[in-house]
Amino acid sequence: MVQYARLDAAFAALSDRTRRGILERLGRGDASISDLATRYRMTLTGMNKHVRVLERAGLVATVKVGRVRHCRLGPRRLSDESAWIAQYHQMLEERLDRLDAFLERTKGDQA
Amino acid sequence: MSTAAKGTARSAKLSTPGDREIRTERVFDASRERVWRAFTDPQQIAQWWGRGHQLDVVRMEVERGGHWRFVEHAPDGVHGFEGRYREVRPPERLEMTFEWDGMPGYVEVTTITLEDLGAGRTRVSTHVLFFTKEERDGMLKGGMEQGMNESYAALDGLLARG
Repeated sequence: MVQYARLDAAFAALSDRTRRGILERLGRGDASISDLATRYRMTLTGMNKHVRVLERAGLVATVKVGRVRHCRLGPRRLSDESAWIAQYHQMLEERLDRLDAFLERTKGDQA
Repeated sequence: MSTAAKGTARSAKLSTPGDREIRTERVFDASRERVWRAFTDPQQIAQWWGRGHQLDVVRMEVERGGHWRFVEHAPDGVHGFEGRYREVRPPERLEMTFEWDGMPGYVEVTTITLEDLGAGRTRVSTHVLFFTKEERDGMLKGGMEQGMNESYAALDGLLARG
């Protein structure tokens, strides 16, 4: 069965578009915080925050080598059931992201 | 593709009331009428429902019993979705059946509720109900096999690495 408390942290982590992008990027290979910050045009502090949220949810693991913090996908294994919910949720969230952008873009277009 | 656009959404919330259901809520800085039009006007829905991919609105009869069919042109292929409207109650409730061409005959019911929060804000609740757990799992399998969306790669990566 789904462990809701653990899933909450994962859903909260996945509810953000940038964090989903980070996971997608790390799915293709490890990266440093500064790599990720550059890619998302973000400050190191801002990127650190996102990575910490993902780390708390067990979705990302980091290790510091010298002055550089390296990120990779975390140890967490989602059960089939929670994976289904997470995937479906992600699809719905992507639609809502686009709806959000659309409403923002067309603000003032209609009376 | 730009992901930097600042959105209006204020909050997102998910709950899983049962193992055949999924529910998500989000608050938008837009009037209920505007959000209703975004869901029911073919020209408007074509601009966002495809998750950034080209979307053809082949058919969209927004009335009880009316048919809808959307075709999404994703990088991995063309995906058709269709169903019928079960309830249309402007500007607050839209209920429809939903089928994906990849799993014909497996139907889910989606209910979208728009709640006017005042001050030009609207809460959008999406409730999805599958008839059986098997259908639900089939949708998962189908989605993974077809690679329905490139952003699923992150989760696939997680599953693969364990």
